[in-house]
Amino acid sequence: MPSAGKTKRKKSTRKKSELGSALDQVGDESTAAAMKEFQDLLAQAKSDTTELVRQNAKELEERLILLKKRKIDKEDFDFFIENQKRDLRVFIDSQPAQAQERAERLTLHILETAATKVVPVLLAMI
Amino acid sequence: MKPHISKNFIIRNLFLCAAAIAITSCGTATINKPGSDAQIESLRTFELAFIDEFAVPHKRFNAAAFDAKVNQGNAMFQQAIANEKFTARRPVLNDLKAQFDADAAHLRSKASRGKVTPALASEMKKDVNKIYDHALGR
Repeated sequence: MPSAGKTKRKKSTRKKSELGSALDQVGDESTAAAMKEFQDLLAQAKSDTTELVRQNAKELEERLILLKKRKIDKEDFDFFIENQKRDLRVFIDSQPAQAQERAERLTLHILETAATKVVPVLLAMI
Repeated sequence: MKPHISKNFIIRNLFLCAAAIAITSCGTATINKPGSDAQIESLRTFELAFIDEFAVPHKRFNAAAFDAKVNQGNAMFQQAIANEKFTARRPVLNDLKAQFDADAAHLRSKASRGKVTPALASEMKKDVNKIYDHALGR
């Protein structure tokens, strides 16, 4: 079993570096800062204690990689973002008021940032 | 004394009726929930089969077959919503219907232009399974 765990970790690191290394290539200073902010938020969401927040971050990262590899196009990506938002709104509304802002920042805000700031950068690289 | 006893008798009967109604409605909800779950599972099966049938790369788009399947899905959802006795489930069924509408619209747009990829089909099915799991409280 330890070997199975090791394999899984290696795969996850490879995926992370795949997106991370692409976003690190950005030359423009303000865009690079936005990419860094996005990567920090994504890392925070991926290690969150709530399963749904982690799952959302993981799916978003996988879909950004699919987009970069041209296995899905921007229309598909936008469609999946809307699906994720629809699913998350129910979850956020069910959170206590004081937890809603954090939940929203780690879910809907990340999706919005990915769609408006990260996707144009990735598409420009293709 | 007599009116007082009569008043107590009426109050006691009203209380017993209210308790009976409450117990009966709880029992109904519990009895109906497995049926409601089965209904949701059958909608999930239909939607996954719909994606399997039409989200196929390079497959020629058959508009008539697509529309027939969408109409069948719409009828299934409408019937499920109308028959749902577990009232808390109705908004959930509406959410699932919204997902089906969105899936059908996206699939029509992609399949009619021959732009379906294997990744699109697998990601769509992933989202369908996720929203149905959440609808069932899993």
